[in-house]
Amino acid sequence: MSEPDVLFCLHFLGGSARSWERLARALDGVPFCVPVDLPGFGDAAGTTGYSVAAMADHVAARIRTRAPARFGLVGHSMGAKVALALARRSEDGEPGLTGLTDLILISGSPPSPEPIPDERRAKMLAWIDADPETRRREARAFVTANVGQPLDAADEDRAVDDVLRAAPAAWTAWLKSGGREDWGRWIGVLRTPALILAGSADADLGEDAQAALMAPHLAHHRRVTVAGVGHLLPLERPAILAERLRAHFGDRPGQADPDAPAVPPAYAALIDSERVNSRLREALGARAAPDDPAYRPTALDPVELAILRAAMGRVVPVPNLDLAARLDRRLASGEGDGWRFSALPPDADAYRAALRTLDAAARAAHGRPFVILGGNDQDTLLTLCERAELTVPDMLGGRLDADRMRFWFEDLRADAVRLWLGHPAALARIGFSGIGAGGDRDGEIADGLPGFRAVGLDSPEAWEPRAAYEGTAR
Amino acid sequence: MNLEGMRAYREDESVDAVVVGTGAGGAPLIARLAAAGLKVVALEAGPNFTPERFAFDETLADEIYWTMERLSGGSTPEAFGANNSGTGVGGSTLHWGAFVPRADARDLRLHTESGMGVDWPLAYEDLRPFYERVERFLGVSGAQAYPWDAARRYPLPPVPRNGPAQIMAQACEARGIRWADAPAAVVSQDFQSEDGPRRNACINCGFCHQGCRNGAKASMDVTYLPFAVSRGAEIRAEAFVHGLERGADGRITGVVYRQDGQDRRQRCGTVFLCAGAVETPRLLLHLGLANSSGQVGRNYMGHVATQVWGTFPNAVRMNRGYPSSLITEDFIRPGADFAGGYLIQSLGVVPLTFGNAAARGRGLWGKPLLDYLDRYNHIAGIGINGETLPCDANVLTLSDELDARGMRKAHVSFGYSTNENRLNAHATAVMRGLWEEAGAEDIWVLERVAHTIGTCRMGRDGSSAVVDPQGRSFDIDNLWICDGSTFPSSLAANPALTIMALSLRSAEAFLAEGH
Ligand SMILES: Cc1cc2nc3c(=O)[nH]c(=O)nc-3n(C[C@H](O)[C@H](O)[C@H](O)COP(=O)(O)OP(=O)(O)OC[C@H]3O[C@@H](n4cnc5c(N)ncnc54)[C@H](O)[C@@H]3O)c2cc1C
Ligand code: SF4
Repeated sequence: MSEPDVLFCLHFLGGSARSWERLARALDGVPFCVPVDLPGFGDAAGTTGYSVAAMADHVAARIRTRAPARFGLVGHSMGAKVALALARRSEDGEPGLTGLTDLILISGSPPSPEPIPDERRAKMLAWIDADPETRRREARAFVTANVGQPLDAADEDRAVDDVLRAAPAAWTAWLKSGGREDWGRWIGVLRTPALILAGSADADLGEDAQAALMAPHLAHHRRVTVAGVGHLLPLERPAILAERLRAHFGDRPGQADPDAPAVPPAYAALIDSERVNSRLREALGARAAPDDPAYRPTALDPVELAILRAAMGRVVPVPNLDLAARLDRRLASGEGDGWRFSALPPDADAYRAALRTLDAAARAAHGRPFVILGGNDQDTLLTLCERAELTVPDMLGGRLDADRMRFWFEDLRADAVRLWLGHPAALARIGFSGIGAGGDRDGEIADGLPGFRAVGLDSPEAWEPRAAYEGTAR
Repeated sequence: MNLEGMRAYREDESVDAVVVGTGAGGAPLIARLAAAGLKVVALEAGPNFTPERFAFDETLADEIYWTMERLSGGSTPEAFGANNSGTGVGGSTLHWGAFVPRADARDLRLHTESGMGVDWPLAYEDLRPFYERVERFLGVSGAQAYPWDAARRYPLPPVPRNGPAQIMAQACEARGIRWADAPAAVVSQDFQSEDGPRRNACINCGFCHQGCRNGAKASMDVTYLPFAVSRGAEIRAEAFVHGLERGADGRITGVVYRQDGQDRRQRCGTVFLCAGAVETPRLLLHLGLANSSGQVGRNYMGHVATQVWGTFPNAVRMNRGYPSSLITEDFIRPGADFAGGYLIQSLGVVPLTFGNAAARGRGLWGKPLLDYLDRYNHIAGIGINGETLPCDANVLTLSDELDARGMRKAHVSFGYSTNENRLNAHATAVMRGLWEEAGAEDIWVLERVAHTIGTCRMGRDGSSAVVDPQGRSFDIDNLWICDGSTFPSSLAANPALTIMALSLRSAEAFLAEGH
């Protein structure tokens, strides 16, 4: 596939359409960049409507005016959240927005509330409508604090000017509400191929935040961290950004069909044989079907689903099987297993609280989200759960105490293994012959089912499968 | 089961009896009362299945479990759902293991013997004729000479010993422990159910807990219930009872139930509550009825049901064969530092049950879990069913959480006391010893609680019991309870055969009054 015709470029808080000039030059019209001033910024400083939805409407109008057949959305920081909202509308088939081919998210503000420390937010709110001198000083401090290496003087001056051009009300609205709006569930999981870029020197929206809060919303994405860059990649390294875009258009993520655990041919033949009844064959077939990478969770939100995927990957480490999505579907169906530990809240709530607690524990212990930790560190935290030793104070985001985390982890292990062992690849792996004890028969009570003739030790029948580790030869 | 051509009663007609629940407690008496010519309507919360649904798969069998949520607390929280609670026409017998030892006579007078627990208000000899009737009617297979009861003869020859049973037999032999082919309510030969279907001999498929496809296992839907329907009983499925209407004299006049989203009422002369040891007390507590003793919900019991697992060099393939085909009752009175005792059975389980045990009970996860599951075909288990004494702290109450119908969920608090802990330690050592004797490697212990028992105890005195020795409420004379909830103590034996025997006994007592 080739480039989109047009890239609509949405700037960061305090930026403007001008922030994209150097990228546009580097791309040289392929694709053509259409930078947009968001309401309250740049030439649109006089326009109001600062919520994410209003900003998205503003951009949607621009897209409709140009009516491109194929377009990409490039969103930087604040602009990324607007781009994500538009992508959801596009994927939902909104007229005029349907040609979306790519999402480029640069140091993006995620669908869920932006993880910015309260003091920093308070400070930014304090000076934006102060006296001109303070404003100029602080605007420069803002720009310099957000880059890895100093910009050259002219670029820095233009960036400072952009900050000062912004309507203080727009600036304040983003910090107080737009950036805190929770669009996580509504945006859900997008199918559009995405490139997630982060600067290695970005404080709040660097690679960890992108992995934990952005990536879970994008079924087909590639994450790239650019060394030495802060929060303002389009200003800091436009040439590298252009290069990354071209690489993305040349090789979009998620083009291959999804994988699923393989069912060995001999076991597949048993499933197809008349020893297996149709209802079971159909169920095994459904369980063997590949999982949709863009599965949209309903009991959990996408960020929680990602934490669950990471934990599931440690509990039942089998590739290409999305046990987390299967569990979410079960939790959402409300079909419980008939009981729960009375110490825990209802199943879906318990899962949400526990996953958030696990993530908080990772942040407390390692300063990083659970999803990005190495397997050994993840295992260490899960082992603490198992021993009822995982304690995270409320103020650090702990929602369940150590005893409850132990109960939850017991439930998780059981849920994981039950889902895995329902899969025909699992049954094949352990050499389970039970599925072949009876096929279809008419009538309420079956006549003449084969069952097992010999049931004692060391008397397998010729057709019975063997466990994978024992080899297929008999 | 096939309900075509079933007799139908009008709701405004006052039938002789409404039976709530069609499991082990309900079905035998529905059959007996119908056979006596009474007008009987059975109301069952679960759906009506036919064995055609049963598909040799654990996940697909979820539909036969009671999945309305219960809250489990206490120091030994018990799992419900697939662990012990079924639903549907036939109740928990759709998925039960059909392992049917009789109660040991000594267990019924445990207090006299040991000063602990309680005595039952009836003796083994009161139960024996009913045990025999049930065993004959169901077609119980078992040892032709039962080592612990010379007088006992099972109607059918035993089902074949599977891998775990062979291992346990050898180990018992080596340690001088007596063993026998287990009594199983599974027909080892083709069997014509009286006024019911022809049931095919067990095919050794190993899926008893998921529903028997060929009628070999005695679930109520292929035994007592077809008989009941043939004698004029009506069974209404998906009918959840949530109210009892009473006249000015306090006697019950009708039963209120919800079916197809609508409340309906059936007028009746007598009600038999047979909804199991969780739903029966829950309903009574919900309605505030039959509880002048304050005993409803009290003395909840689950059996000590610890299992020991091990890995063998042999191809055990424990999924094959009737799962619990060997028994020893040598430890019903081990003469140790605790009252009562336990029986031991051999165990084979299907993969999800096994994986659940390994993940929950053994605490495995990650590669060790996958590696252990790989050994499935070489693993065999052994387990007990052990006495649990009634205890004040073990109680069923209504939680503040509501279910989808707006009824408060049951909260069950359960924990072992000293006697259970001692029994458990003894049994664990014995089972470990047997598995070591048998050459098992990688032996581990699964702590487990099984069955739902107690909460509406029977007794002779209305100030300390909910029902009399026949099962009749002390407070409301046309309300009877007939299910696992009336047990004053747990007994070492698995409960269902005794529940069925008591069910027939209640029916006879009711009929003897001239109904
Ligand atoms: C996996 C498993 C294996 C078992 N194996 C054995 C075994 O090998 N041997 C043994 O002796 N026992 C075994 N049991 C236990 C045995 O099945 C039960 O003890 C027995 O069935 C209990 O009988 P009951 O009448 O008390 O309740 P149930 O058989 O559970 O019947 C209660 C019925 O009432 C219905 N009901 C509940 N509430 C309402 C309401 N409000 N309105 C209408 N209907 C309602 C339910 O849907 C259910 O059908 C096993 C249980 C399980 C789960
Ligand atoms: S093992 Fe026998 S009794 Fe059990 S389900 Fe299979 S056929 Fe039925």
